[in-house]
Amino acid sequence: MRPFDRYARRKLLSRIIAVLTGLCVLAVLYPLVSIVYESFVQGGAVLFQAQFLTTVQPLPCSAISCKTVGIGPAVQGTLIVVGLASGISVPVGVLAAIFASEYRARGLGRAISFTADVLTGVPSIIMGAFIYGYFVIYYPQIALSFYTGALALSAIMIPIVVRTTEEALRVVPNSIREAALALGISKWKATLRIVLVASIPGVATGVLLAVMRAAGEAAPLLFTLGYSTLWFQGMNQQGASLPLLIYTFALSEAANQQKVAWGATLFLLILILAVNVVSRLAIHRMRVRMGGV
Amino acid sequence: MNSVKIKVDRLTAYYSEKAAITDISIEFPERAVSAIIGPSGCGKSTLIRCLNRMHETVARTRVEGQVFLDAEDIYELDPVRVRRRIGMVFQKPNPFVTMSIYNNVSAALRFNGRPSREETDRQVVRSLQQAALWEEVKDRIDAPAVSLSGGQQQRLCIARALAVEPEVLLMDEPCSALDPIATAKIEDLIKRLKEEYTLIIVTHNMQQAARVADYTAFMYLGKLIEFGPTEELFERPKDSLTEAYITGRFG
Amino acid sequence: MNADPLADTGRPRGYDLEVRQLKARAVAMGEWALGMVHDGWRAFNAGDFTAAQAVLDRGDELDRLDEDIEHAAIAFLVLRQPTAVDLRTATGLLKITTHLDRIGRLGFDMARITTAGPSKGPADLRAVLERMDTAVELMVRQCLEALGHDRSDLARELFHKDDEVDQLHREANRIVLRELSAKTNNTPRIADSLLVARHFERIADNACKVGEKTVYALTGQRRSEYLPRHRYQPYALETPAPMSKTADNQPPS
Repeated sequence: MRPFDRYARRKLLSRIIAVLTGLCVLAVLYPLVSIVYESFVQGGAVLFQAQFLTTVQPLPCSAISCKTVGIGPAVQGTLIVVGLASGISVPVGVLAAIFASEYRARGLGRAISFTADVLTGVPSIIMGAFIYGYFVIYYPQIALSFYTGALALSAIMIPIVVRTTEEALRVVPNSIREAALALGISKWKATLRIVLVASIPGVATGVLLAVMRAAGEAAPLLFTLGYSTLWFQGMNQQGASLPLLIYTFALSEAANQQKVAWGATLFLLILILAVNVVSRLAIHRMRVRMGGV
Repeated sequence: MNSVKIKVDRLTAYYSEKAAITDISIEFPERAVSAIIGPSGCGKSTLIRCLNRMHETVARTRVEGQVFLDAEDIYELDPVRVRRRIGMVFQKPNPFVTMSIYNNVSAALRFNGRPSREETDRQVVRSLQQAALWEEVKDRIDAPAVSLSGGQQQRLCIARALAVEPEVLLMDEPCSALDPIATAKIEDLIKRLKEEYTLIIVTHNMQQAARVADYTAFMYLGKLIEFGPTEELFERPKDSLTEAYITGRFG
Repeated sequence: MNADPLADTGRPRGYDLEVRQLKARAVAMGEWALGMVHDGWRAFNAGDFTAAQAVLDRGDELDRLDEDIEHAAIAFLVLRQPTAVDLRTATGLLKITTHLDRIGRLGFDMARITTAGPSKGPADLRAVLERMDTAVELMVRQCLEALGHDRSDLARELFHKDDEVDQLHREANRIVLRELSAKTNNTPRIADSLLVARHFERIADNACKVGEKTVYALTGQRRSEYLPRHRYQPYALETPAPMSKTADNQPPS
């Protein structure tokens, strides 16, 4: 009978660890998989109806066979508010990050970095409450509107954009900056037209992250964009949004509204997944064409 | 004996409060190759980075003394303009990775004014020819710069620097990242470039200094020990420290 | 790491060992050549064929030593690519071995022209030649000492000793002319003695050249930088310098 030597013991230990880590992976994957699965099961029937995206939300109705129509205004509202928020946060965030990264010697640069870091940890509902509180005091007539909604989302997006852009800029090797300066190109031109261009894949990834985060936030929109079941009424009016629709309908007692909530959930999931995949492909191709910065 | 192109007068350069080079005075002749040799940390890179005002792009640096380009003190001129007259090629080839070969060479031209397409084309071809790269890339001038080999990339960087039509070209160990064949090509290039430009080269390779340089400077611990015609410095150095270094008896 | 790089650490540095070996070989060759001179003169002076033959047999070894040093110096140059003092030493040694070879060859030739029986020529000529031998051997020893022990001062002194040998050579010439015009029976022997005197003068000259190259190797200085410029004239126009007394106390005639 062969003795139980060191080698066999080591192999056994390796296998045990491998199994344990595999189990941990499953534990992590389970919630994600079950959410997706559940969404498909519950919302699939609703989502794949015709006109789901183009009609208005249904009124509550108790019987299961009540009409379960669309989420059109919510989709429209989300697109508008996230679009506006991006329009604000991308330029502001990118420029702030450039200042923080390229002009780091000045103390302000480090302050920006630090601030962005802290802000990413602030709960998003506080952002919303802050914006609401400020506008309620100074501009109450638009305290609940697309404007404030976009601002609240920007407050969440900007720190993300700043941090990821800063990282992307840092990854650009210093030799590129030196090469540009040594050619007699002024610093700001070198930064914008060479360094920033070289870091676009990283910046794009950061913007993507920020957009997806904003598209899914419900809490900040609670006090700013407000709630509506109507199509777009005006920038200074409240509006509909997907996260809040899901929130409201999921808590409703009407079965048809609950179904719509599941449909909207599935839609949001698929949307985010699709945007993710398409963007990452595009970014990857950008990286390949650039030769791997 | 050529006239003086760059005159360094009692130059001291600091990183934070530490002096990397101290009280350097030297006159680099025009249309000649001057090499700077010395052990690691002797300040050779710091010295040439002061010559095109790249030293000050690092935080917390300071410079004392003067550097004259044809009798103008470069520290009283606009640094961006100085760097167009004094170009630099770095140790590791650093082409702009997001750009094609053409765009790399024309980068400085495009960013600093708007010459016409024909004018830019002409400059690009001329610079690539001067850098002995034209024949190898003329069929793929829009290919990404990173598709070139290391030696070709370095010649691309030289072409890019020459496109600005500088008067002086500084080279910081231009061949240390390259294989012997690529090195030989660049050394040939250097010998040809000196007909039009003044070149100052930092090298840790003494044989290279002996091969290409008309004048050689030896630096140690931030000071200039000796400067003279290469042949004299290598056959009969005036300073015993120089002799100890070049005969490998250091330390 | 900031210790004085010139400080003597007691360990050999750079190409110290290889250069010392090259020099040691050259000194060994020089001593071989010196032996040939010494024994060649003795053989000629005593008219001893056996002794002369012994000297002639040493010629091949002289050649071999010369070639070996040449190969070693060239290998050193190509493999080490030396600079400054190492370069000057290697190239200097290539020339030094040529001069050492000539010194040996001159001794060889003295043995070659040996004729039977001790010389019966004039005593003063023999005395002059003896003095030349002493002076010349001293010079060769000194140049080898300078080479082997890095003594550029000794090398520089050789030029002064050379003057002395020149004087003796002129003296030997005068005696020979005197003897020839006196038409004695000793003509062949006199002719050979003239040749031997000439050989001694050449040996001294070569020893000086070795010294010159040694100074160059050690300091990089060329002859013109440390010797005053000497204006040469044909012998006939020179006034003869007063000679010191000869060994048997006869004043020169």
